[in-house]
Amino acid sequence: MESFLAIGLIVGKLAVVIAILLILPIPLTWIERKIAGHIQQRLGPMRVGWHGLLQPLADGIKLLFKEDHIPVEADRFLFTLAPIIALVPPFLVFVAIPIGDSITLFGTEITLYLADMNVGLLYILAVAGIEVYGVILAGWASNSKYAVLGSLRTCAQMISYEIPMGFSVIGVVMLAQSMSLLDIVESQAGLWNIVTQPLGFFVFFVSGLAEAQRIPFDLPEAEGDLGAGYHTEYSGMRFSFFMISEYLIVVFLSALMVLLFFGGWHGIAMIPLPPVVWFLLKLSFFIWMFMWLRFTFPRYRYDQLMSIGWKVLLPLSLANILISGVFML
Amino acid sequence: MIARVAQRMSGWIGWVFFLDLLDGLSLTLSYMFSKTVTERYPDNEKWMPFPRYRGHHFLKSNAEGKTNCVACELCARICPCRCITVVPHEDEDGERHPRVFEINLGRCLYCGLCEDACPADAIALGRHYEFSDYDNKALVVGRDALMAMPGKAVRGGEVVPARLSTEDGVTVPAIAGGEGADWWRNIRRR
Ligand code: SF4
Ligand code: SF4
Repeated sequence: MESFLAIGLIVGKLAVVIAILLILPIPLTWIERKIAGHIQQRLGPMRVGWHGLLQPLADGIKLLFKEDHIPVEADRFLFTLAPIIALVPPFLVFVAIPIGDSITLFGTEITLYLADMNVGLLYILAVAGIEVYGVILAGWASNSKYAVLGSLRTCAQMISYEIPMGFSVIGVVMLAQSMSLLDIVESQAGLWNIVTQPLGFFVFFVSGLAEAQRIPFDLPEAEGDLGAGYHTEYSGMRFSFFMISEYLIVVFLSALMVLLFFGGWHGIAMIPLPPVVWFLLKLSFFIWMFMWLRFTFPRYRYDQLMSIGWKVLLPLSLANILISGVFML
Repeated sequence: MIARVAQRMSGWIGWVFFLDLLDGLSLTLSYMFSKTVTERYPDNEKWMPFPRYRGHHFLKSNAEGKTNCVACELCARICPCRCITVVPHEDEDGERHPRVFEINLGRCLYCGLCEDACPADAIALGRHYEFSDYDNKALVVGRDALMAMPGKAVRGGEVVPARLSTEDGVTVPAIAGGEGADWWRNIRRR
């Protein structure tokens, strides 16, 4: 009986997480378009529903009914596989992301995470890296020069930026003496890591932007020079898989920033709010931040991207490890 | 020398702390929370053109409700597109008026020469601008329709409340009694 309940609880939580993740891109596209509009002094979507709230639904219907087109010369198997490879890792990552400690509901204690791995951070970084394969395969299988150029850029960009990203979290791991995200958040109960690790946060933030392929680092899909980059040949549902994956990665990186550097669900003592609310507030702030940056900056040139990655972020992240080590001694 | 070093230094400090990036971010942030300039046409607003605007023609009429036009055909002569057809006749009061007065709006180039040439101050180009049609025969407008057309804008250069109506074709009538607003009111100048 006990074990049945436990399994039921896990399955239930899994279903909730998957449902939320599938639904999440819908409000996010609306918010992104609204933010884009207001930054440019426009109104954004206004006509479908109240203030355009139903616009994502209209977009979804449009995508569903679009012709599912596969180029003649494309590698059909990889072409169909790529969107799925791109979509699955963002879902897997959320297994290890806690949104709170635990709450008590009907006398049972429910933990607000699916799994507390002792190598949580490592797992997240590793699984998130798989998403790149989707992008690379998509470009390769399309058999189109723009798509291949886009995925070539992705390869180089991801390799360059995963390194500083991995290094930048080492400082956090050193402070918490653990790779479990729960322990990392617990270690920030008194003082958020952003105070002690500003450099680490900066490196993580910039390489996160690059990792999510957002402006100013969205070279893989640079509209100006590559058509649409790796998903030039995709349409309909397959294209929307890439879109969903992109939004989920934004959410996941924001969650990681909150967990690693901004104290997770620990709030400021002066303002009493439930921990989960604190977490969601910080999460939405970072998602908004991603969108704000997107509509402020132009795209970097490819060589600038590489030199930022190797000449600025990598030394900075190494210096951060060194400084953290010296201070801990 | 010292000034140059100071300039260099401040440049470096700006580079290290991303002052230019922060400047851009603060600008877009202020835009995000400023009023939008979108003209919500055709749902809520429409543009009222300036009095000088040359739109759909209209024929002015006198106190008795008859058209001012004396069918002199000067407008038809001066029109570079030959798109005005005037057929004069003598009405029951013995006055000379056009029996047929047709303008082919599909050929008109809205130069306004007909307005300038008219000796009787009868024809002018008004404020109406939404008269596209699927059928080019509908663009040949006759005398009575021209007399019913709205005239020139009085103030103009503003956004007036309007709404989209699909009752009788697709039209965007302005809401009666609505206050016009200056479109430039929300434009930021920095
Ligand atoms: S506006 Fe010009 S082109 Fe049009 S009817 Fe008058 S004279 Fe002809
Ligand atoms: S509109 Fe004016 S110019 Fe044209 S026929 Fe009439 S009076 Fe003459």
